Amino acid sequence: MSIAEKMAANQKQVAISEFFEKNKHFLGFDTLNRALITAVKEAVDNALDACEEARILPDIIVKISKLDNKKDILQVEVEDNGPGIPRASIAKVFGQLLFGSRFHAIRQSRGQQGIGITGVVMYSQLTTGDPTHVESKIAKEATAVSVDIGLDTRKNKAIKSNQDRIDWGEKVHGLRIRTTMKAKYQRGRQSVWQYLRMTSIVNPHADILFIDPDGEKHHWQRVTERLPGRVEAIKPHPKGIELGQLQRLCSESTESRMTTFLRRTFSGVSQRAAKELCEVSELEEKLKPKSLSAQQVRALLEAFQGERQLKGKSVKLLNPPTSCLSPIEELLIKKGLSKTIDSKFVTTMTRAPSVAQGNPFQVEVGLIFGEGMTADKPVEILRFANRVPLMYQQGGCLLTKAIESVDWRQYGLDQAGGRGVPKGPAAILVHLASTNVQFTSEAKEALSDNETVMEEARKAMLEMGRGLRKHLEKQKKMGKTKEKFELINDIIPAIAEKSASLLELPVPDLAASITKIMSAVIAETTTTWNKATKQTDVHITLYNYTSRARSYTMLVNWPERQGASMVNNNLGGRKEAMGVWAWKLETLQPGVQTVISYSLADLEKGDWNETDVFYRGSQEVIGATKMDEKLLEEIRRQEEALNAPLPEDDEPLDVNESSDDESVDESEPNAPPSDTMQTTLFGGDY
Amino acid sequence: MAERKSIEETKTALHDVVREMYDRIVKGEPPTMTLPVRTKNNIGFDAKLGVYKYGRKQTIRDATSLGSAKQLLRALHVIEFIESMIDDGKSSTLREMYYISEGWGLGKFQSQNESNNLAEDLEIVTRCLREDFKLRPEEDGARMIGNLTLRERNRRGEWMRINARDDVGDSGYGVPYNVEAEKIEFLEHDVNFIMAIETGGMFDRLVENGFDEDFKCALLHLKGQPARSTRRIMKRMSEEWDLPVVVFLDGDPWSFRIFASIAYGAIKTAHISEYLATPTSTYLGITADDILAYDLPSDDLSKKDIEALNAELSDPRFADGWWQEQINMMLEVGKKAEQQSLAKYGLDFVTETYLPEKLQALGL
Repeated sequence: MSIAEKMAANQKQVAISEFFEKNKHFLGFDTLNRALITAVKEAVDNALDACEEARILPDIIVKISKLDNKKDILQVEVEDNGPGIPRASIAKVFGQLLFGSRFHAIRQSRGQQGIGITGVVMYSQLTTGDPTHVESKIAKEATAVSVDIGLDTRKNKAIKSNQDRIDWGEKVHGLRIRTTMKAKYQRGRQSVWQYLRMTSIVNPHADILFIDPDGEKHHWQRVTERLPGRVEAIKPHPKGIELGQLQRLCSESTESRMTTFLRRTFSGVSQRAAKELCEVSELEEKLKPKSLSAQQVRALLEAFQGERQLKGKSVKLLNPPTSCLSPIEELLIKKGLSKTIDSKFVTTMTRAPSVAQGNPFQVEVGLIFGEGMTADKPVEILRFANRVPLMYQQGGCLLTKAIESVDWRQYGLDQAGGRGVPKGPAAILVHLASTNVQFTSEAKEALSDNETVMEEARKAMLEMGRGLRKHLEKQKKMGKTKEKFELINDIIPAIAEKSASLLELPVPDLAASITKIMSAVIAETTTTWNKATKQTDVHITLYNYTSRARSYTMLVNWPERQGASMVNNNLGGRKEAMGVWAWKLETLQPGVQTVISYSLADLEKGDWNETDVFYRGSQEVIGATKMDEKLLEEIRRQEEALNAPLPEDDEPLDVNESSDDESVDESEPNAPPSDTMQTTLFGGDY
Repeated sequence: MAERKSIEETKTALHDVVREMYDRIVKGEPPTMTLPVRTKNNIGFDAKLGVYKYGRKQTIRDATSLGSAKQLLRALHVIEFIESMIDDGKSSTLREMYYISEGWGLGKFQSQNESNNLAEDLEIVTRCLREDFKLRPEEDGARMIGNLTLRERNRRGEWMRINARDDVGDSGYGVPYNVEAEKIEFLEHDVNFIMAIETGGMFDRLVENGFDEDFKCALLHLKGQPARSTRRIMKRMSEEWDLPVVVFLDGDPWSFRIFASIAYGAIKTAHISEYLATPTSTYLGITADDILAYDLPSDDLSKKDIEALNAELSDPRFADGWWQEQINMMLEVGKKAEQQSLAKYGLDFVTETYLPEKLQALGL
């Protein structure tokens, strides 16, 4: 079976067409502007999901043209290079509402957020009476299918017309949709442009071309060839299940024993837990799940939720695996932000996966700061759920609240009273990846409150804030170092010369004055991309402006974990810890400079723009930070933890006696301990 | 006491500044320039002179930071420039010097303010006047109307006799930037006092109403914060002709400062207070109680106004009881009023009612 066919086979159907007509207001079609964004969003989200599943780097073209100005009739065309949809499935995909694998599989996907492409077909038909034109080509067929899709909204069925086969020339696979609708094209914060811009930030692997109604082209290029990690569907977790769902799972089960059923149907249930669950819900282990009465199902659910307890404790469950999540990851967020917003400093933070109410989730944040953005306005907030931009209801969204809960003043942004959206030349990105994104309403534009998620998001913000503060402090320090250099290299010699000439005396020797003025060792660091070698060159120049010889150990951070390698290291040195390199410099003579230089290979441009330099030694080094040995210890400890052999899958975690809520927060044993996933070790205080 | 210096004295004084920097470098120390602290915390009343002067607090500007090192370098350039002007018999405006500094490379000024301040620094350190440095202000002198006769040496070097009532138009006699004896001599007058006025509108009102003749006084337009030459000519007239000076300003914190600079000396120019300030001058209005007594149209004090008033409370020049009372009253009332708000009661109210009442209270 081809990928396309497999995907289609997963689809199940739900009849709900009529529902749409009555409820289009909260399905994203309430205003003419929003209807357009929703239409583009449904098509693009599908394209990205399909490409991701089929492991294809997406090329997406969106074109909007005006058909009838007076009546606000627009034509929307979306084309992708995805796997295409087999002929037999086209009618189902486009003609039945709430049709799709995403409602049944537990994993992170974009599509779960929308009513689906069928909504677009329906909206088009309702506002213009026209069907939607679909062309689809799958790799194993020589020609593409071309068909017009209309809807029988009462029967929840597609009406196909003008079916044909056409030649697509070079293009091997993909999907083209062309639909007309009553809609308005607007610019600004809530626009197709903004949606695509945001989409491109969190999908750095996608190439998106947008042609607006004026014919202007907006092109967001692919900045990485790396596809998002493959996400696996996971079994539901007992904590995240509802009664109806549990009933269905029981009645559809073919297992012959409750314990096997529990272990095989759910994630996080060990053999011991399965037995204990049966015990507390007063079910025979040998019972057939199919035979459970409504009463018994309810008892089981109570056991799941910890309402039924064994010796005063709820049954211990493991956390669900987090392999079902696909974070964007820090380097890629960095790239995504950098390509769309032209600014200097980017800091990102991907938290370790966590679990809330049985649902795995993961928070990622990014912050871009610098010139080119307005300094006296609130920062731009870029919210995403499962890589889908959220563009409405910013104020009511959990992610916004997480930003607002941080006192940004301590990190260098303006914020009245230390609450609310901060002001400054910055944009903050927040991404929630989860198998079950909870929205405040059907409109699916704002995430609803959840303490666990909020706390994770807040922690991520704090970490990122520290990164920003560190950057600003460093900027300041670098500015000071630069000033010192100007002082001793230019100004003092000029004063000496001018005063000598006015007094008609010889120019005095400056060395002693300069040493007095500087009385420090100075480190100047540059990190630059070398076009020719495709490497990142780092130079650290040390000047000893004190009156005696000094000895130091200099240390740097470098992206070892991101797969970089260190080459052309002139002074050798040694590895101090994961991502930390050190050089011992025995003697720095007064008035002499020493250069450490090396290059980082196996990185792309923009991956590494700033190197942090640390020192060990008694006298301060301007331009470097004193090494915090505790921090280094921490890095080493986590490195060990990462390399340690992992416990067996089915063994319950040896959690200390604690409340049930806390044990939920423990990670699955086959995922690394949560802290080792944090990569901004240098973002902390020291 | 600041006095005019000879060319040689000026050059020697400037060289002393250079010498301080040079010697420090020779000693292996960062170069420095020592000068008095120029804030309100370092001005004190000089009983002998009757004005406020800088106290003993010194600040050492040393070249350990980029900013002060640049200041030192600029000072050297300015000194070199002054010497060349002295040698060539030229002079320049401060603004011209600012533009000339474009060619000074690292020693170039970033703003006109910087060059003005540096010229003042050098005045203070060398005890010379900027006239000795051949530097002229850009600032526009005041204008004057009244029965005063003086003679001014014009640019051809001839003395011109001018009566500031009969020989001038409605805009009055324009006070030149140099009002020293080599430029202006006072001959005779027939006035009882000099009235200094903040705004042009009020000056013109009094001129139109013939106030100078009715009350036998000279009117002087300050144009806001008065220029050095304006303060200097007031000082000379009040001293040489023994005339009282009354000062008629808006009723706001900034006017209080203008008065302080006229009567007691400005903080910025405290090194030459005895040369610029008129200790016998009197504040006529608008006072804080005028706002209430005359029920004048007023504006609420802004945040900056309040800050300024609070700063004045701790300014030694406003330490006396009357000023403390006025400042506190204004803070309490929370209002300020302009001179021209007197027009509420008609155009003649100021000349027929307000000023006569106020002058009577002062015994004039």
